[in-house]
Amino acid sequence: MSGESEPSEPVVHGALMGGFAQACVNLNIVAGRRATALLADIDMGRWFPLSKWMEIERMVGESYANVEPIRLKLGIEMMRLWYHGGPGKALIHRGADFLHFQTGSHGIASVIRGPREVVGSFDLAEFDSDRGHAVIRSSTPFDKTIERGVLIGGVMAPGDLYYVDVTNDGDPNRLVVEFH
Amino acid sequence: MTLDEILEGRDPDRLSELSREDMRRLFWMYKGLLKRVERDTAYWQATNDNLRTAYERLDEQERELARAYQTIRQDLEIAQQVQHALLPKDHPEMLARFEFSVYHKQMTEVGGDYYDFYRLRDGSHAIGVFDISGHGVSAALIMAYLKAQLVQTMEQVSRPRDIVEYLNNATVGFLREVRRYATVNFVAFGERTFRYVCGGGYGVLVRGGEVHTFNKGDPFIGLRRRAYSEYELPFETGDVLALYTDGMVEAQDSAGADYSTRRLHELVRTNSELPANQILQRCLDDYGQFRRVDADDITLIVLRRRAA
Repeated sequence: MSGESEPSEPVVHGALMGGFAQACVNLNIVAGRRATALLADIDMGRWFPLSKWMEIERMVGESYANVEPIRLKLGIEMMRLWYHGGPGKALIHRGADFLHFQTGSHGIASVIRGPREVVGSFDLAEFDSDRGHAVIRSSTPFDKTIERGVLIGGVMAPGDLYYVDVTNDGDPNRLVVEFH
Repeated sequence: MTLDEILEGRDPDRLSELSREDMRRLFWMYKGLLKRVERDTAYWQATNDNLRTAYERLDEQERELARAYQTIRQDLEIAQQVQHALLPKDHPEMLARFEFSVYHKQMTEVGGDYYDFYRLRDGSHAIGVFDISGHGVSAALIMAYLKAQLVQTMEQVSRPRDIVEYLNNATVGFLREVRRYATVNFVAFGERTFRYVCGGGYGVLVRGGEVHTFNKGDPFIGLRRRAYSEYELPFETGDVLALYTDGMVEAQDSAGADYSTRRLHELVRTNSELPANQILQRCLDDYGQFRRVDADDITLIVLRRRAA
């Protein structure tokens, strides 16, 4: 896929899809033949329709009665894989770097493409190192609990911070990060 | 004393000596630990809840499976009754002319072996023995289909060759479509002879102490349209005829050896002076001692012409 023009249909990069699928397998959300089929289906170098991501999200939602803690863990596990088994370690060195990586939706733009009104943004809106406070404004189509997990996992992954939490009380699109 | 030294376990009583910065680190470490425990506890609680839900679903599916199995069992019992009803029961006209004994055993509730006695349009008696490929309900349904087709066929023609050829032509299209076929052994009795058509079936005549094996080289029913051959053999008072399917002769002993046609034919020959039911019983006794396990449906018919 060329980088010059946006595709008319939203697409998600295979690396992100692969990380998501692998996290599902690692947490035994899918297992056995379904796990093999899910992973075999994903080529890390390709772009996939956003609908495929949504299909997996739906599958996770339908698999569990109490799904929110699972979604949170899924996001954390994805970022653990991204940092320790993927390109993350080369891109960020401190927890705060992961937050800066989101400036101008830089992070999200590398893994999802398509009409802006559909793919939305995932942008660092506030950052205060002294207070250990940051705000991410998110308007992506992804599940917000998984996104909270992604932020927690991404900020914790380098291992330089003792405390990380992400809340979105009141406004699901405003992800408040506390880090120390 | 630094926080790292205390955490390494050197002297926990000296926490008060920590710098403000180390105390601050310790505070966030502790809070971070609590937060992780909180998240992990929620995760494991959810996993536990989900496991319970999964078990409940499994229980429900098990109950559904049991209900479905019960329905299948009932259907199979009915299918078995229907299949038994399709086999011949009372045949006084045959008994008046022939002394005979039948052994018929299906591997499952319903099976693919089928035999029947007929009265042809020219008044002669006949026997058909068929072995439909496969087992179970589908083979039984094919059996019912063949029986219905045979009834229609025998309203049209009466020579064994014509009957089998007509039956094959009428059924080959459907049987090929459902990928099934059937061996055929059709025997029509005359006054002192019988005529037969044999495609994959088994037959042996013992006459005057000699064994005459059926020529079984004609095609199975349902493979292709082709002309069939008809053969005639003498069949007089005292002669013994045995018709059977492959279930018995292809069964194996614990060493992997087949029971074999030769063994069965020899057994019929050496006991050919006995009544038909005793010949059959001798065969079954010998087979029972030989075979390790039944591997297929079994049909064995032993027949002797009565004195006129």
